[in-house]
Amino acid sequence: MDSPTTNNHNHIHTHHLNGASTISQPSKKPKLLSSSFITPAEIHEEFSHHDPSVARINNGSFGCCPASVIAAQHRSQLHYLRQPDNFYFNELKKGILQSRTIIKDLVNAKHVDEISIVDNATTAAAIVLQHTAWSFHEGTFQKGDVVLMLHYAYGAVKKSMEAYVTRAGGHVIEVPLPFPVASNEEIVREFRKALERGKSEGKRIRLAVIDHVTSMPCVVIPVKELVQICREEGVEKVFIDAAHSIGCVDVDMEEIGADFYTSNLHKWFFCPPSIAFLYTRKTPKGGSELHHPVVSHEYGNGLAVESAWIGTRDYSAQLVVPAALEFVNRFQGGIEGIKKRNHDAVVEMGEMLAQSWGTHLGSPPDMCGSMIMVGLPTSLGIACDDDALGLRVHLREQFGVEVPIYYRPPRDGEVGCVTGYARISHQVYNKVDDYHKFRDAVNQLVNNGFTCALLSG
Amino acid sequence: MDSPTTNNHNHIHTHHLNGASTISQPSKKPKLLSSSFITPAEIHEEFSHHDPSVARINNGSFGCCPASVIAAQHRSQLHYLRQPDNFYFNELKKGILQSRTIIKDLVNAKHVDEISIVDNATTAAAIVLQHTAWSFHEGTFQKGDVVLMLHYAYGAVKKSMEAYVTRAGGHVIEVPLPFPVASNEEIVREFRKALERGKSEGKRIRLAVIDHVTSMPCVVIPVKELVQICREEGVEKVFIDAAHSIGCVDVDMEEIGADFYTSNLHKWFFCPPSIAFLYTRKIPKGGSELHHPVVSHEYGNGLAVESAWIGTRDYSAQLVVPAALEFVNRFQGGIEGIKKRNHDAVVEMGEMLAQSWGTHLGSPPDMCGSMIMVGLPTSLGIACDDDALGLRVHLREQFGVEVPIYYRPPRDGEVGCVTGYARISHQVYNKVDDYHKFRDAVNQLVNNEI
Repeated sequence: MDSPTTNNHNHIHTHHLNGASTISQPSKKPKLLSSSFITPAEIHEEFSHHDPSVARINNGSFGCCPASVIAAQHRSQLHYLRQPDNFYFNELKKGILQSRTIIKDLVNAKHVDEISIVDNATTAAAIVLQHTAWSFHEGTFQKGDVVLMLHYAYGAVKKSMEAYVTRAGGHVIEVPLPFPVASNEEIVREFRKALERGKSEGKRIRLAVIDHVTSMPCVVIPVKELVQICREEGVEKVFIDAAHSIGCVDVDMEEIGADFYTSNLHKWFFCPPSIAFLYTRKTPKGGSELHHPVVSHEYGNGLAVESAWIGTRDYSAQLVVPAALEFVNRFQGGIEGIKKRNHDAVVEMGEMLAQSWGTHLGSPPDMCGSMIMVGLPTSLGIACDDDALGLRVHLREQFGVEVPIYYRPPRDGEVGCVTGYARISHQVYNKVDDYHKFRDAVNQLVNNGFTCALLSG
Repeated sequence: MDSPTTNNHNHIHTHHLNGASTISQPSKKPKLLSSSFITPAEIHEEFSHHDPSVARINNGSFGCCPASVIAAQHRSQLHYLRQPDNFYFNELKKGILQSRTIIKDLVNAKHVDEISIVDNATTAAAIVLQHTAWSFHEGTFQKGDVVLMLHYAYGAVKKSMEAYVTRAGGHVIEVPLPFPVASNEEIVREFRKALERGKSEGKRIRLAVIDHVTSMPCVVIPVKELVQICREEGVEKVFIDAAHSIGCVDVDMEEIGADFYTSNLHKWFFCPPSIAFLYTRKIPKGGSELHHPVVSHEYGNGLAVESAWIGTRDYSAQLVVPAALEFVNRFQGGIEGIKKRNHDAVVEMGEMLAQSWGTHLGSPPDMCGSMIMVGLPTSLGIACDDDALGLRVHLREQFGVEVPIYYRPPRDGEVGCVTGYARISHQVYNKVDDYHKFRDAVNQLVNNEI
């Protein structure tokens, strides 16, 4: 199959974007011999449930789940239904603990107590921000104390800030960020300015909420540096909303040094919907505890234990982390190998598209993980958020391409600039044809004189 | 198969506890002819994934889900995974609305806006009680204002009261209830006394949280009467925690008249884990809104819309309500027929056990739905909660019987009373043998003087 060469370990093998060798023998156990890694045929089989008519280059929104992990989940679901009482009393807690332990090792947390499993990053944000609301209510924080967030924070998190922080009397400050962006320094500069603004009003900055990988536009934020600046500048707590990060960028709790950190495992770690972890750094003195908002029998026993039982529900997605890890380890280099190959491929595909369309990338390669923003031709006339969504729908329905589109408003003085960017992703199931399909679709739209104004006609 | 006769519609048919006729032809469409109802063999097939070595008489804790609904759920899950973006943009909202509409009709709510779908009753309680906490914080309620609940309220709900009401400055009053109980009047009497206590401290009673069917011990509470009393006595809002009710007892929002009402569909309405509805009565003037605690894009668009998107997750259990309804309608009389036959059977089985053990039932038949409390022989020596749990484990591991046990402490002056009750259930998959197995296990334990 036509593919750019990556990981040239052996010249005689045909190489694929995901780095699997065609001479591999099918095997499920991670071995030292390269011949036992997953084959392209096996990868295809694992994702054969994906709609084959769709060029699926939006792994960022909903992730993906291989057939073997889906099967593990179904087994878990049926096992519960077979005898749920026994499952509840004798198996559930052990299974959740096993998943938490795997995650602890993956993210380099010190204690498994620091790892709670929740449904998704949205839930994790609610947990942290509800705690913030209680702090305002109970007088730990004073009215007007500041909570900082990025302007490009995920929309749901912004709503959560409104629901819990603003409503409780906190003052929310947004850090404007440049896009396109050329370097980490641009981000650091804006962040420092926002900190100054926050402190200048004489209030404490109680919490900084920082994305590790912003959603739209998609950029990898230098979180380690920003956390250090927060510590220097007296920000009380830092919460990293890293919805995308695990399996997409490097995730190391000791390295990053945040107080709270959350990431979804169903986006880039092959788990079924849905599962995320919320890391809460252990503090020497007992502070005010985070609680899961759905209060059940385990209330007061620590967030991890509370989160492991929030009433009768399907916990199977949280129990198949071992199966997801097993899947990951069928690839050369495990998750690190997958990340690297995804990154190299998405940069390569992004550059191919930008060149074909005469546009540019939204950030340098070192500020992206497995996703990258690619400028769209200006002739498409993307002039508002609705245009971006309309183009996305048009690409899905008319061309079988699934890709999110971002509308980037012109800044003062800018004329004829790129106002639309596509966020393309690369995951192990992708083929070069997916990106060619997208390239050709856009070129066809341009050649036909398509503009977004036509969509609302 | 050996079974007590129920629903004697036709003498020549063998009758089964679930009322299905053996001469039925397999059919999935509800028809007028009795021959098209689900057959015993089909029921057995639908629940063939249950552990056959277990006498499963605890439907109350985790419910059950027939194979055809599990299959519908798997199809929904795979459909999402196939093209999740399309599912999210074009299918999810319609599917949730369809489920909400079915539920609205089932429970006789006036508007589909009044029906939100959440994970379970525990989540619904958190939604109502978090709203209570905000009311205290924002000064709508004053510190010390009262929230009432039953002493037999579910443990998780008691924790939620602690986490949201007590912590926010509210004063929680528990209504003690008698058990064993002989009549609704005993419950009403205690409830009125608790209301008086609440009002006597000069504070407002802002909320009453009342179980429709208590969990342990399991008793059907006369909620309609209690709601009326609340209205008469100036209780501001009433929240009915009816985790068990839909598919187990009658559920009618107009009839009951509460402000908030929640019930799980995975217990007695054959849905997979997990799905519950939270009914919120529409009020003419816009009041303070309930919110889902997991805040996402739809924040501020009403609880039902908020609850239909709380981030990326598996909504399939919420989407298969149509399949569950289809399953229910394969039975004669639909859910009403199932309820009645379950009730009759569990009362019959309870009386059989009580007679065999020389004990009694914990409540009269008209105060139970599809579950009933049966006294255990005093010689078993259940003297604390741990004993009850230990006996439950012993029954599971040594006898293959799954049944929850309740420890009922002796009251002052009581000597030699029954201190342990089993909460048995009956659902369409049960057979008489399940209860014989339990009967014999207990008799064996008594004879062996364990």
